[in-house]
Amino acid sequence: MKNAVEFVNVSLNFGGVKALDDISFEVKEGSLFSIIGPNGAGKTSVFNCVNGIYRPTSGEIKIYDQEIADLKPDKIANLGVSRTFQNIELFENMTTLDNILIGAHKHINYGPVTSMLRTKKVKNQEDEARDIAEDVIDFLEIEEHRFSYILSLPYGIQKRIELGRALAMKPKVLLLDEPAAGMNNEETEDIARFILDIHEELGVTIILVDHDMNMVMDIATDVIVMDFGKKLFSGSPSDAAKDQSVIEAYLGVSD
Amino acid sequence: MSKRPDLFTSYQKEISIFPNNTQKFWFVTLLLSSIYICFIASDYWIILITNALLVSIAAWGLNIVSGLAGQINLAHGVFVGIGTYTSAVLGGVATRSVIGFEMDLLIWLPLSGIVAALIGVLISPIAVRLKGLNLGLVTLAFVFIGSHFFSNLTFITGGSGLGRKSAKLNILGIDFNSGYEIGNFLIQKNQILYLISLLVTVLLGLGVKNLVRSKTGRAFAAIRDRDIAAEALGINLFKYKATALAISCFYGGVAGALLTTTFGGVEPGTFNLLYSILFIAIVIIGGAGTVLGPLFGAFFYVLFPAIIQYVVLSSNLSEQDLLITPQQIERIIFGLFIILFLIFEPRGLWGIWFRLRNYFKAWPFSY
Repeated sequence: MKNAVEFVNVSLNFGGVKALDDISFEVKEGSLFSIIGPNGAGKTSVFNCVNGIYRPTSGEIKIYDQEIADLKPDKIANLGVSRTFQNIELFENMTTLDNILIGAHKHINYGPVTSMLRTKKVKNQEDEARDIAEDVIDFLEIEEHRFSYILSLPYGIQKRIELGRALAMKPKVLLLDEPAAGMNNEETEDIARFILDIHEELGVTIILVDHDMNMVMDIATDVIVMDFGKKLFSGSPSDAAKDQSVIEAYLGVSD
Repeated sequence: MSKRPDLFTSYQKEISIFPNNTQKFWFVTLLLSSIYICFIASDYWIILITNALLVSIAAWGLNIVSGLAGQINLAHGVFVGIGTYTSAVLGGVATRSVIGFEMDLLIWLPLSGIVAALIGVLISPIAVRLKGLNLGLVTLAFVFIGSHFFSNLTFITGGSGLGRKSAKLNILGIDFNSGYEIGNFLIQKNQILYLISLLVTVLLGLGVKNLVRSKTGRAFAAIRDRDIAAEALGINLFKYKATALAISCFYGGVAGALLTTTFGGVEPGTFNLLYSILFIAIVIIGGAGTVLGPLFGAFFYVLFPAIIQYVVLSSNLSEQDLLITPQQIERIIFGLFIILFLIFEPRGLWGIWFRLRNYFKAWPFSY
């Protein structure tokens, strides 16, 4: 099976701080891969490296065997990598629909001059983009919020819309940064169901970061555990729960 | 008329400019009466409205780069100036001190926009790398560089204090400079310029509307709201910021070309910092980021002083009684309006119009 994402000895330093310290792992295509670890372990830094927002200090990151060190985030997005953010990064002054249409940005190809003239091509492509957006809205069950402005929507719905915006890109790899953060049990279950649906129905490779251990243990197929920028463990979720170094990282070491 | 005007049966109808017949009716009425005004109003009002239309084109330009794409630009007046001088050189008459090629309007008008846009693209590598306050400062520097060129390239601008004459009004080889006779009916140059400005305003306004409801406009707004998220979704920041600047400069250039032609001549000192700030004020008063806002703002800016003057003149008060001149009153009130709008109505005149419209839409159950 192909590797969707591969880290080879990746380190990321901010001055003296080692955000990532010699991290290596592979995400198989079609897996639901989870990164867990305490706060400040470097989970989001992994995402920012895959995404091109940070450049690793050393090491290689490959997406479908293509080295991405020199690529800007928008080029990496065009390789089929989409993401959500830990703190919601929606376009607040726009409607849900516009946010999701921006997600479909790379499926539309006409230039700025054509867009001002609004030719037949523009109309057709806008209709296609709207179809993509409507599929996503249908999938995530947010029909009633279609024309609502983001600012007026509750947190749980905003999280779901951000997921929708990422989905509208029709990604091959989807990075989810704490999709269940700040949610109650019911909302967490909703999100978990959506993640499983995306994984199974749409066949998207998912990399998931979350603090909700119950959810991660239930849905992930592979897991790595990080602490202070180092990889402690990689394997199946059930083995992670038994691993001594993982227990120590989460609960501390007894003297 | 359809029985359910808010029921849309296709995606295109939902985002059409005039989704129902009422709006179409009012637009056509407004357009026809605008054309009619041209034949009944005095020269003073025709020039005033022409001015307002052209200022709104320039303000639309600034609104695209600052209101829509969120990139502050303090140098918009310079691009208006570039358009002005492109038109004056291409369409103007050569004299001992300045060059001029006496070309057709159909050549100099688009080229004024294109040259301004090209210069926008030329400086975009600097502008797109910066944001916020730093971008503001760099664009401030452009104002001074622009002013320097405008006052020193005397073979183009005529030099400060002197200026030069504007482009000639020749369209398709016909000379409209002293009016045009159709049978016994004489159309004045002002009236022709008014009609041209109206046409260009409608076309470029349509351009703005189309831009806003397209991929490009959405990308601009995405960059304004959250540039990191926009980039993660595949939007090339450099490309789109440069595009926004280029479109903005095009609008500025076209407006500048026609503005100067309306006034007949131009002096390089016009395009100073205050001139650029003016467009920012218009966009804020009208409603930043909206399609109709700059139009409202421009009409407010142009017609407001005229109304103040009218009131002052008709009140029989001399300047000695008032202690200040009508111009000063106008500036004080204008400044006050900017502050009031920023505090109470960030969506500007457009916001007020929007609420009024919704009030009357729901009337008599508007609560």
